[in-house]
Amino acid sequence: MSEADPLLKPAPVTDLGLAGEIRPALPLGPEGLDRHTRRDLLKEEMAIAEGFHGGAMWPYAVATFGCFAVWLSFFPLAITGHLNLPLAFVLSCIFATGGYVTSHEAMHSNIGRPGEKYRWLNEAIGAVSTIPIVFPFSMARIMHLEHHYHCNDPLKDPDYTDEAPNALMAWYKTWYNRQPGVDGSIHHYKRILGEMGTPEAARALKETMLLQLVFMGVLFTMAWSGFAIEAALLWWLPRHIGLSYIRFYLSWAPHHPREGQTGRYEQANIFKSRLGHVLSMCMETHLIHHLYPGIPNHRTKAAYLALKPILEKRGVDCSAI
Amino acid sequence: MQSAVKQLFHWMPFLFGIGFIAPLVAQTMQSWGIAAPFGMSPIAFGLLIGAPWGFVTVLRGRWL
Repeated sequence: MSEADPLLKPAPVTDLGLAGEIRPALPLGPEGLDRHTRRDLLKEEMAIAEGFHGGAMWPYAVATFGCFAVWLSFFPLAITGHLNLPLAFVLSCIFATGGYVTSHEAMHSNIGRPGEKYRWLNEAIGAVSTIPIVFPFSMARIMHLEHHYHCNDPLKDPDYTDEAPNALMAWYKTWYNRQPGVDGSIHHYKRILGEMGTPEAARALKETMLLQLVFMGVLFTMAWSGFAIEAALLWWLPRHIGLSYIRFYLSWAPHHPREGQTGRYEQANIFKSRLGHVLSMCMETHLIHHLYPGIPNHRTKAAYLALKPILEKRGVDCSAI
Repeated sequence: MQSAVKQLFHWMPFLFGIGFIAPLVAQTMQSWGIAAPFGMSPIAFGLLIGAPWGFVTVLRGRWL
């Protein structure tokens, strides 16, 4: 060995008489935990999360079919003049927005997994829930799962186009991304599906086209039959309001600022909504959904509170709730 | 078939202007008791707004 060999080079000594460069015995992760600690924490985390999977899912079915039936009944009632239109408009907005929540459970097969007894119900809930926002379940499921696989990846996350520097800009972008010539929202989804080229993607594109044509057909027919205001207040406007609300609370708010936030514990934020947990569609604890998509939406807050000590050790900012 | 559908969706804002915005404008005016200018019928006025607006949207790619 020569004198230049680094193994023979004496370490610099500090005033305390210790080596200047202290290295841990085990390599540490970004949160300062060694791999044994990380593994133990993960085991503990999974054991706690397991207790929040499942539970009664029938309220999702009741809400889906009940709200859809009421919404459908608005159309003949409006045409025959037996409807309180302002009230029906408010309810239609709620149904359009809330429908995404029930559909979202179906996207993750939380109502019935393939081969299970209630699989048909899972698929039916998914298919019906998003009709008011003219967003077919086939497309919604593929795009949402892509969002989970590539969360916050600027090139691969289909929802990355919702990113905006602040809340006001985020609201604006929910509208801007729906403009016909802008590569955002459903136009962005269509392009990604076209590039995927799988049979499922082709089916999703076909169903999207059909649903949009039905939507336009209903609007045009009602409008030229003298019910343009009714069509606007029961479907057209609730769809736009619902899509903006969904984009803001389900996409922008929990994932902002997105850039570089691709790690397991970075994909979503824990935040406090001005509208509260329910009106923000349980998105305050959306990180739990990304960690464990099998936990139903209504149980994510309870799961978060149980997992909070572990999440804090993982470096998650839990100061908001 | 695919090309025809693409064309249909490309021109959809224009069709939307005629098919939905025009009657919506006309019926809103009637509902609020607003008369169309120059002695036009409400639907003619609605078409005068909806059709060009939809056409410009096809060209610009944005409604506003």
